Amino acid sequence: MPPDAMKITQAITLMLAAIGVAGIGPAQAADQYQTIDFYIQQMITQAAANEETGVQTFREQLENLKRPDAGDAAKARPFQQQGLQQLARDNFKEALAAFRQAFITDPADSEIAGQLSLTYLRLQRFKEAERLAVYTLSLAPTHSSAWLTLGEIYGQTGDSQRAGGAFANARRFAKQPSQLAEQLRGLMTADQPEAVRAGAQHALQASGANPNPKPATSAVLPPQSSPPALPAAATPSPPSPAPPSPKSATATESPSAEAASAQASAMLGSLKQGLKKLSNRADPVSRAGDSSRLQAPNTDNVGQRIYQQSIPLTCLIVTSRNGRTDNLGSGLLVSADGLVITNHHVIEKADNLAVKCGGRESTASVRKRSKEPDLALLATSLKIEKSFVLNEIYNQALIGLDVFVIGNPYGLEGTFSTGVISGLREIDGVRYIQISAPVSPGNSGGPVILSDGTVIGIAAMGLKKGQNLNFAIASADVIASGLFDAARMKTQRLLGVK
Amino acid sequence: MNRLRALLGLLLAAWIFSPPATAQTSEPNRYYIQQMIELAAANDEHGVTTTQQVLAQSPKPKPINPDGARSAVQRGMTAFEQNQLETALAAFQQASQADPSNIEATNYLGLVYRKLNRLQDAEIALQQALALEPTRATAWFQLAQVYGLQNDGRRAVGALANTYRFAQNAMRAEEILRNIAENEAADTLRNAALETLRLYKLPAQAVIVPPLPADPGITPLKIPAGSSRARP
Repeated sequence: MPPDAMKITQAITLMLAAIGVAGIGPAQAADQYQTIDFYIQQMITQAAANEETGVQTFREQLENLKRPDAGDAAKARPFQQQGLQQLARDNFKEALAAFRQAFITDPADSEIAGQLSLTYLRLQRFKEAERLAVYTLSLAPTHSSAWLTLGEIYGQTGDSQRAGGAFANARRFAKQPSQLAEQLRGLMTADQPEAVRAGAQHALQASGANPNPKPATSAVLPPQSSPPALPAAATPSPPSPAPPSPKSATATESPSAEAASAQASAMLGSLKQGLKKLSNRADPVSRAGDSSRLQAPNTDNVGQRIYQQSIPLTCLIVTSRNGRTDNLGSGLLVSADGLVITNHHVIEKADNLAVKCGGRESTASVRKRSKEPDLALLATSLKIEKSFVLNEIYNQALIGLDVFVIGNPYGLEGTFSTGVISGLREIDGVRYIQISAPVSPGNSGGPVILSDGTVIGIAAMGLKKGQNLNFAIASADVIASGLFDAARMKTQRLLGVK
Repeated sequence: MNRLRALLGLLLAAWIFSPPATAQTSEPNRYYIQQMIELAAANDEHGVTTTQQVLAQSPKPKPINPDGARSAVQRGMTAFEQNQLETALAAFQQASQADPSNIEATNYLGLVYRKLNRLQDAEIALQQALALEPTRATAWFQLAQVYGLQNDGRRAVGALANTYRFAQNAMRAEEILRNIAENEAADTLRNAALETLRLYKLPAQAVIVPPLPADPGITPLKIPAGSSRARP
């Protein structure tokens, strides 16, 4: 489009916006978002073209929209704090649950809405992140962090032009433009998609800031690759920051002040990274879902060691039939490419299967099944470094050894219990290990583990009469069955009892 | 066009010949509410709006003792906040009888019935509330939960769709729907929320592993009277 035609189009759009007939009415619920999105997109377009007047016009339009009713701020605050803690630990799912609750409780708080948007971004749920960022900006059109989040969303989805416009607004409305400029530089140099880098560069150039980091700064300070919006979001600030005047928002600071601010920002970034590493180290269980991070726990307590080693490899299995949840059970990961062993009776009537192993989820399909012994082998998309080792010992020497059972009795996920091997039984040609560890519905298919961490059996059934008379299919029979795949599963012949 | 005319004609006739309102939801009102549910589940925007307008103009019951009803509502709300559901129920029933046009009374009555798992009574009360105010999003939301608990997926979708349609804050309603679609243990309601989000082309993520009920029947242990712990 020729420049003149573009200007005419912009002028017409501005006029339409000024008289409030942008073609969108806020009558219906779905239209509320379209209306605010229209103004936000106009602010982005105007910012990308460095049109100060246009940005301010649409900002005013946004500010003139009816504000949503305030919620219960006091009730929302604890959820928000919880969300911030989880976000700082990179526990994004937990952060989402907390911020979502905070948002539902008080949807008029722009900080909470912005933090929810950022969490969706970190979860790579870009559509939700965009909608929440746009909504945040309808509450506070000068919310610099929300503009930054929005820019990153557009950059992550490959739209460098809109990323540039949103970043430009982030800088325009930043309370500390120099710090924001440093965050944008961080986005340019860090391991970011091309559109994010291009957008950040465009915003810096448009605002007159130097897009290249100063050599002296980068030589002295450690490299910074912390996400740009996290520091702002992780620090609660007043709900509605006062909008800076256009002059102060767009003015560039002196080079020395900017360098000092950049230094402080980089130091803050590395400090936060260090704190994050520390908090991850102190909380091994919360990260148990990621098998790549699985490390030998530093504990002398056998039970704790077995639990921490085994919980990421133990699965919850949920089956559905006719679109509804039908049954649940347990299972264990037995190969690096995600094969899971469970009981046949857990999955026999299922239309669909889903598994959750150590916090990671996957759909599953039945690879092999057998009624006698009561076993099934499921294929999942989970990739792991370590898997359970099946112990093929089956003799009297086992009796009296400690065993550990992990499973999901009645849906109580990751329940850990202990007992001893009480006996060896052969029933209908299947070898069982009788254990005294408690087993309930939902434990079926879960591992029975020796103190060396190997699996000696698969929990299968219990005697209703009497107490603690439970039975696991011996691993020896799993290995002897048609389900076993020697090329992919690991076995052990010895008792390496620790 | 012909379908729309026929629908309008039908609605007009039903309105003209509708009997005077009573404390109970009249049959035509119930019909309109069910129509609103069906049309919303089919994403028929015009149909929902037309039916809603007819319902809004239907005759409303007259208050008998509005002051008595207001104080009963207050009592009910206090009891409800303290989780004294039976006391709350009695108060809201009293309020609803004293003033059948009191939307708070009927809405809360429906909520308490639902909490007490008296689903049919809850449905009747909530329909009564919607006959008084067809755009009451909270009543639609309660009704959706009732249908979810009754495993009526189609009607749950319609009621949730109307919850979103009439929500004061669309983004909040959207997030509530996403929360249900990802975290609700009851399959019918969870699937209905997911379907509603898709109906409005809102971003939604189906869960891989359905959430499990938070409470698998755990009850607090009771110490029997006269047990050794009771002795000094």
